[in-house]
Amino acid sequence: MRRAAVAAIVLSTCAIGVSYATAFFAGGAPMWAAWLFAVGMTGTILGTLTLGAMRRDRGLGRLVIPFIIMTVLLGGGLAAVFLLPADLGAAEPLLLGLPRRAAIVLYVIGLLPILVLPVAYALTFADQTLRPDDLERVLHAARAARAEAAR
Amino acid sequence: MPHVTSPTIIIVALLYFLGVVAISIWASRRTRTARDFFVAGHGIGLIALTVASVSTSVSGFAFIGGPGLLYSIGLAALYIVLPASVTNVMGAWVLAKRMRLLGEVRGLMTVPDAIGARYRSPGAQGLAGVSMLVAIVGYMATNCLAMGYVIDAIFGVGVVPGIWLGMGITLAYSVAGGILAGIYNDVFQGTLMALASALVFVFVLSVNDGMGGISRAIMPVDASFLGPWGKLTPIAALSFFFVFGMGSLGQPQSVHKYYMLRDPQQLKWYPLLKTLGLVLVLLLYFGVGVGVKALVASGRMPPLTAPDAATPSFLLGFTPVLLAAVVFSGVAAATMSAVNSFINIGAAVVTHDLPIAFGRRVKNELFWGRIATLTIAILAALIAQFSGSMVAFLGIFGWGLFGATLVPALAFGLNWEGATKAGAIASMATGLVITLAFETLSFFNVYSFPTGVTISGLALVLSILVFFGVSWLTRMTAAASLDPDVRLVMEV
Repeated sequence: MRRAAVAAIVLSTCAIGVSYATAFFAGGAPMWAAWLFAVGMTGTILGTLTLGAMRRDRGLGRLVIPFIIMTVLLGGGLAAVFLLPADLGAAEPLLLGLPRRAAIVLYVIGLLPILVLPVAYALTFADQTLRPDDLERVLHAARAARAEAAR
Repeated sequence: MPHVTSPTIIIVALLYFLGVVAISIWASRRTRTARDFFVAGHGIGLIALTVASVSTSVSGFAFIGGPGLLYSIGLAALYIVLPASVTNVMGAWVLAKRMRLLGEVRGLMTVPDAIGARYRSPGAQGLAGVSMLVAIVGYMATNCLAMGYVIDAIFGVGVVPGIWLGMGITLAYSVAGGILAGIYNDVFQGTLMALASALVFVFVLSVNDGMGGISRAIMPVDASFLGPWGKLTPIAALSFFFVFGMGSLGQPQSVHKYYMLRDPQQLKWYPLLKTLGLVLVLLLYFGVGVGVKALVASGRMPPLTAPDAATPSFLLGFTPVLLAAVVFSGVAAATMSAVNSFINIGAAVVTHDLPIAFGRRVKNELFWGRIATLTIAILAALIAQFSGSMVAFLGIFGWGLFGATLVPALAFGLNWEGATKAGAIASMATGLVITLAFETLSFFNVYSFPTGVTISGLALVLSILVFFGVSWLTRMTAAASLDPDVRLVMEV
């Protein structure tokens, strides 16, 4: 799982690099390069989150679901922005006070993740992030290492 | 920034500064050791740390430069702050637990400390310290200049006296109370700014008949402003998200606060509280940016002479003077808070990390920390005063340089056992060289990247790839780069 997260980060970063490279083409970056950047950015962020959140003994545990939701919000939100037709000027229908694509950017990509990841972090903290015995194990190992070094 | 001098604003600003002085005197009495000075003795509670961290994260840019940028380039400027919904929880998962546990086990105090411990390498620690110093010079100088402009705008004293007046106040609390004074001043300032920002947002909505009114005013005049990428290309806008999202893992002013939390178990609510705090503070960034655009579009406000006038113009024209006074004082305090944070981090690099890199330890770190604080502050103020347009150049690459040099070695290194010392050093060197070389070429108009490619984004991409590539090539040394206690911290 850790290898998969590292692979996702490397491949996604390469995608962003390729996307940047297309900007050097005559005529500028093609549209597919923006798609590639969006995919790469989503992959880098999700890969990094996965790398940080997983435990050696149990992987992502209950965090799999919020991570899938996050992928849908970020990746799906960006895809929707790319796929929706251009704004219609004064005739553009408003969604929560904003043009549709701007509303997706602000509410789906910007605000909804707040209700997912930080809440998931808090709810799974005791079994996924820092168990009560983790600190004691780390301190015990450090004391043992120091005693060993002193000998 | 236009002058905003009025008796109410001056009185509120003076009261604000008096509050800062009072907190600093209190903090100085509680600062007795280098650990107190640099990491507040690992003794800050959850709420104080959260509010202080929010305060440090935003600086004056969120209140003046940010709304101005949004007014200029539309929603594209939003991609600078949108990652806030992810960055705090990403920092918590990737760095907070491991750095806090390393602090517990090894008594670490600085970000380069963590890199040195991770790779068993004083050299890597030293290179991280040097990279940070280069970026800190830029940040400090621009914030000093911003401080000068804001104090001049409030008191009408001139920019240069403003720089030294602001630096004098900042130094008073930095030298005496170290990071403890900084933290509690940030709490004071952050609380007021969150309240003020929310109130300003309410005024923006009421003046413009809500978000719908804002959109209806802007769309017929300038539809691309509210387009999903604003006035930039999709890659340029997404590049902001990438750099400010991933780059957040390398910002020492936020990251080194993980060492300060009293009880590691309190990390549980930290990302949620910090994210909500940031949303509150950033309401002004978004609200004023789009609100002023709507007012100008509907002819209720004349076009701005400069984008940075967006916040002052709105506050003076559409809010009660007391609220305007709190925001202006808060902007001054925000720049001072940023300066304080960077002085403290820079002093730790000079008195702690660089001596370790050369195999030495400073005997009285508290005393020399105070001397370094004083020296760095004076140096930054002099650079701000005399460097002219160069100061803008210095400020541009601060965030990007921190990201490109520290993110791979620190964030990935603390979570991936395959990382090696060679990979960490190569990635830091790559980030440093690419950023410095291309920012310099760009500043002197010798070479610029095409539209959409940011130097900070490209430097971050290359440093990540170099980190994984060199680590893979030197993978036989990976196991030797890890002490058992560090390995355990990485496994939990």
